[in-house]
Amino acid sequence: MQILQAILSGLAMGSVYALVAFGFSITYTTTKTFNFGQGAFLALASLIGISAILLVTQGKLIGFPSPEDVTWGTFLFALLAAMLVLSLLGFVLYVTAIKHFVGEAGLSWVMSTIGFGIIIQNLALLIWGPAPIAVASPLGEGIITIFGTGVRPQEILVFCTTLVLMIVFDWALHKTKMGKAVRAVAFSKSTASLMGINANAVAIAVFVISSALAAIAGVMIAPIATASVFVGTLLSLKAFSAAILGGLENPRGCIFGGFLIGLLESLIGLWYSNLREIAVFGLIIVVLYFRPAGILGRVHAEKV
Amino acid sequence: MYTKHFPKKIQALLLSAALLGASGAAIADDIKIGFNSDMSATGSADFGISALAGARQAADDLNAAGGVLGKKVVIVERDDVGAPPKAIQNTNELVDNVKVNAMLGGVNSGNMLAWLHIVQQKKIPTISPVATATDITNRYAKTPPNYVFRVSMRDRDQIALLAAYAARSSQSGKVAIIADTTGYGQQGAKDALEILALHKITPVANEKFGPKDTDMSSQLNKIKASGADTLIVYALADSNAHVMRSLEKINYFPTTLASWANLSSPFLRIAGPELAKKMIFTASITEDSSPQSKTLYDTLMKRDGRVPTYVMAAQAYDSVKLIAAAMEQAKSTDGAAVQAALQQLSQAQGVIKNYQQPFSADNHEALSVKDFRLVRWIDGKVVSVDDDVTRKITPDDLKL
Repeated sequence: MQILQAILSGLAMGSVYALVAFGFSITYTTTKTFNFGQGAFLALASLIGISAILLVTQGKLIGFPSPEDVTWGTFLFALLAAMLVLSLLGFVLYVTAIKHFVGEAGLSWVMSTIGFGIIIQNLALLIWGPAPIAVASPLGEGIITIFGTGVRPQEILVFCTTLVLMIVFDWALHKTKMGKAVRAVAFSKSTASLMGINANAVAIAVFVISSALAAIAGVMIAPIATASVFVGTLLSLKAFSAAILGGLENPRGCIFGGFLIGLLESLIGLWYSNLREIAVFGLIIVVLYFRPAGILGRVHAEKV
Repeated sequence: MYTKHFPKKIQALLLSAALLGASGAAIADDIKIGFNSDMSATGSADFGISALAGARQAADDLNAAGGVLGKKVVIVERDDVGAPPKAIQNTNELVDNVKVNAMLGGVNSGNMLAWLHIVQQKKIPTISPVATATDITNRYAKTPPNYVFRVSMRDRDQIALLAAYAARSSQSGKVAIIADTTGYGQQGAKDALEILALHKITPVANEKFGPKDTDMSSQLNKIKASGADTLIVYALADSNAHVMRSLEKINYFPTTLASWANLSSPFLRIAGPELAKKMIFTASITEDSSPQSKTLYDTLMKRDGRVPTYVMAAQAYDSVKLIAAAMEQAKSTDGAAVQAALQQLSQAQGVIKNYQQPFSADNHEALSVKDFRLVRWIDGKVVSVDDDVTRKITPDDLKL
């Protein structure tokens, strides 16, 4: 039973890592850059979600929602509001902090995205303050018992949402025109441009999608981890590790990496909790030693 | 025209200079107590806001009764935003520019430890009304005179009370520890291990979790499997709430004991009222523990509309009262004289208790484990725990 409990808990956290890791992957494959401020985006999304719920139920933007305030209606409104604002922010991020550096040598985009994230985080701190804000799940706070192990309904919801989203994105990437365009730009930006694909529009789209995914992760995780300015930093670091572990250039690998890290954390906690972080990051180093592109990644020969 | 106006201008200048001088003299004549704490940036900000409210109320009460040495007491507050460099900058400004006669410390031990050398060098008597790290009062203990005192709950004293309760309440004798990986949690776990050993208890499990973790069910499942019926948790408020939520998930409810970090409102909000009830933790005072306490609580509520953590307000209130009593006893506001007077203070009336020789040259802690109580959240209020176990605890059980 202990192992099943650890697996269920690990899958719940792992699905959040997977969502954010996927966001890293799609921007990296198309533009060779990603948003290092993704943690701040995730935190901001959870706080916008709280404000959206409060706006509908209590007519204010700052405060603490009561469990009764969270219904399916308000929760979905929170999700949509956060996705909308974050998509817009993803666009602004691309235009201000990424666009000029795409295709250029150097790592300026690393600093500009970190800086963007820090600005977002501090603005959020000014608006919402540092206190973590608890928010109930639209499914209630009860515990569901499966084969003697307890799981919160929100954890099941997060897991299922991630699974559905990932299947949809996987299908879209491989079967739709837009997905093919994204893959074409990822393969070769110049060739894709010659084929009539607007590479700039694709790049904007992937940043918008990546930010919207952070928004979904932020709002979905709030009933489990609370909403706060600081909630995203560690989550995005783990998600980034998941992306590297699974293979940054392979969206499926990123999802796999997310679940793997979630499960590993949870199972090692069952054995010797002091070794948890050591084991996760030790594994990453070992994997990268043997497979520099990650478990499911492929190494391309660099053309100069 | 010119000759007529000129003297008037000079007159006006002289008049305003005289007025400025007079008001400057009035400010210089006040007794200024600096208050340097986080009040906006970290999860402990609520503690700082509460402590400031308590300190101000003490100054108001003293002034209403004629002040100290016939002078008005003023609290000069500075927000350190939870950052040690800002805390140091504030202290320099308070000591050198504002010329405070005494200082009250902040809520984060690390921040307070960053600026103690300044008050020690400049001979400014300082009281920590919140921060709990042992080193705050210990750092200059070996190089007297030590200017740093405390009216708060040292971590080790809190753990002594938790261990006493654990030893009395555990039926199976199986006690477990879980702590976060911060300095606070790990020092707490170490102290708990040592103090439980004095009770001849070896914990059946000693687990850790990260400060940002929200699911500790794996570690708690291990503790459950070890058969522990009592659990000591040492972590910050929101982590404690997640421990309670994880315990609920695995349907395991041992007697759960923890530090006063749980006084912080995020604990109650994240755990929810039902789970919060199950945590027993330490406090120095509750709003209804005495009539004086009730009066202070009501006064603060009337003034500010809310007191996020009343305990911190009460401790800061008593800190100001102790400084005032020492100044009266020394008949001076000179730092060295006040430091000496604090160490020989015969008595002072506070809200937590009536202090009889609260400090000495060797002891800079006004409160000790004997002054603490165990509390829990019931219906949104901190209420003393009065059960068979607490009634059985004797002074001999409080091993340090």
